[in-house]
Amino acid sequence: MSQEEVSLLSRLSDAVLAMDEAETVRLSQELLAQKIDAGRGIEAGLVDGMRRAGDLFEREEYFIPELLICSDAMYAGLRVLQPHLPSGVAERKKGIVVIGVVEGDTHDIGKNLVKIMLETAGFEVVDLGRDVPPAIFVERAESAGAHIIGLSTLMTTTMGAMSEVIRLLDEKQARSRIKVMVGGGPVSQQFANRIGADGYAANASAAVAVATRLRQAPVESRVP
Amino acid sequence: MTPIERFAALAAGGRLDRLPCVPIVGNTAARVIGVRTAEIRGSGGLLARAHAAAYRRFGYDVVRVFTDLYVQAEAMGAKVRVPEDETAYLHEPAVVDPHDVDHLKPADPGKDGCLPAHCEALARVVDDLGGEAVVTAAVTGPFTNASFLVGAETLARLALREPEIVRQLCEISLETALRWADAIMDAGGSPSITDPMLSSTVVSPRQFREFGLPYLERLVTHIRGRGKSVTLHICGKTRPVWTLMADTGADCLSIDNEASLAEAKAAVGRRVRLMGNVPPVAVLLESEPAGVREAVRTCVREGGDNPRGLVVATGCSLPTETPFANIDAMVRAVDEIGWPPHLTGASA
Repeated sequence: MSQEEVSLLSRLSDAVLAMDEAETVRLSQELLAQKIDAGRGIEAGLVDGMRRAGDLFEREEYFIPELLICSDAMYAGLRVLQPHLPSGVAERKKGIVVIGVVEGDTHDIGKNLVKIMLETAGFEVVDLGRDVPPAIFVERAESAGAHIIGLSTLMTTTMGAMSEVIRLLDEKQARSRIKVMVGGGPVSQQFANRIGADGYAANASAAVAVATRLRQAPVESRVP
Repeated sequence: MTPIERFAALAAGGRLDRLPCVPIVGNTAARVIGVRTAEIRGSGGLLARAHAAAYRRFGYDVVRVFTDLYVQAEAMGAKVRVPEDETAYLHEPAVVDPHDVDHLKPADPGKDGCLPAHCEALARVVDDLGGEAVVTAAVTGPFTNASFLVGAETLARLALREPEIVRQLCEISLETALRWADAIMDAGGSPSITDPMLSSTVVSPRQFREFGLPYLERLVTHIRGRGKSVTLHICGKTRPVWTLMADTGADCLSIDNEASLAEAKAAVGRRVRLMGNVPPVAVLLESEPAGVREAVRTCVREGGDNPRGLVVATGCSLPTETPFANIDAMVRAVDEIGWPPHLTGASA
């Protein structure tokens, strides 16, 4: 990598971190003009900036508004770079996750942050939105060939819908194919264990670690 | 002692029989009189009956006439879904385009949404129990209400991109909150403020200072001006903003179980009473009476000697299906500790 390329990539990463959407787009275009590989621009520029934003969020230096604006910048850059990826390269997917807020709840910021961080980490995410009935999770996971279903809620009142999704998967004997991870304000590891979920994530960064672990775990030895 | 006597003694730094205890009962009250949650939301009579019956059943210290946080936003045009037997939730914000903020009007508690029913319920409970119990109704804080007017994610983006619109939304939400607080006080109750979107789980201390503090300060000053003490509840993490929460002028800060009572005591315990923070889900919903007792003792061990006093409460509203036995166990555990509320050493 040339000095110039390194500098451009780090400026791109900085632009995402600085929530500067216009600069992110400008640098993405400059990167293409200099014939730098679009995939590297995404990885070492955009995604790197978003990862650093996630670190600042973990350290309570960034909060939800900052993280959302960083992701706006990242996605704006992606719209510039993605069309220039050689076909095939886009298939670096770590797995397919169907994600949504369970029925009876419309708080979706947490879910959206998890989606952003999972996409940043290389997962393909099918977003079902909010207020999603249990049967739809299962249906859409099967049609998308998903490896993981991610369930979110902020309401103590809707946690029952999470166990319903697991019950439906059990009924279809699909638990070995499709793992379930849960998260959201009132949800705890205890709760996840009780309803038999495969994973619990306390926040968006943890969700990436859990999803990664679920993709690595051998099918037979489900983590108790 | 009656709850009113307890709070008076706590404020005066006097002797109590036990600490005040507030399992924050919301829609669980419907279960006490065997009706569905949707029935109490729109009926002043049933809502009053449910909360009075819950107070009598459990013997806690604050009757909080409350169903959900959306009643003010709904009265301003937000669409709320009310499932037959689950807690209501926000379906659509009041405006799709935040630039339409000019179209919004502050709510009229005398006629908009279910505010009149909640007001009627409050008046009935005050009539029934006002001589002995502290009767409150929830006022959703301006910033949180603003999030229901345009949607939480939109509001979060606007906070950085177009702060002027956020201020407009907070201003109009404040006007609704002031009117609602007045209606509550006219009915003989005490407004208690809840502003969960100001949690440090969501926004930064700087954003709290910009979009929370100025509006809360005006709301708290207004309520205190009418002789009522004010409790401010914020869910989730709040450690970075405890000082700012106290700066609002609130008499009591109610904190979530994600925050530490011991740390809050050290930070602001000389300025404000503290309320909290037994876990509502992991303990009240999912544990058993013995676990509840243990959690109450932990809470009192951490905060029982708070200079301005402690109210043993849950960290947030209880889930509707919380077992009655666990709510009983919470009040019993506080009773058992008695006075002075000092627990030392390992758990008994």
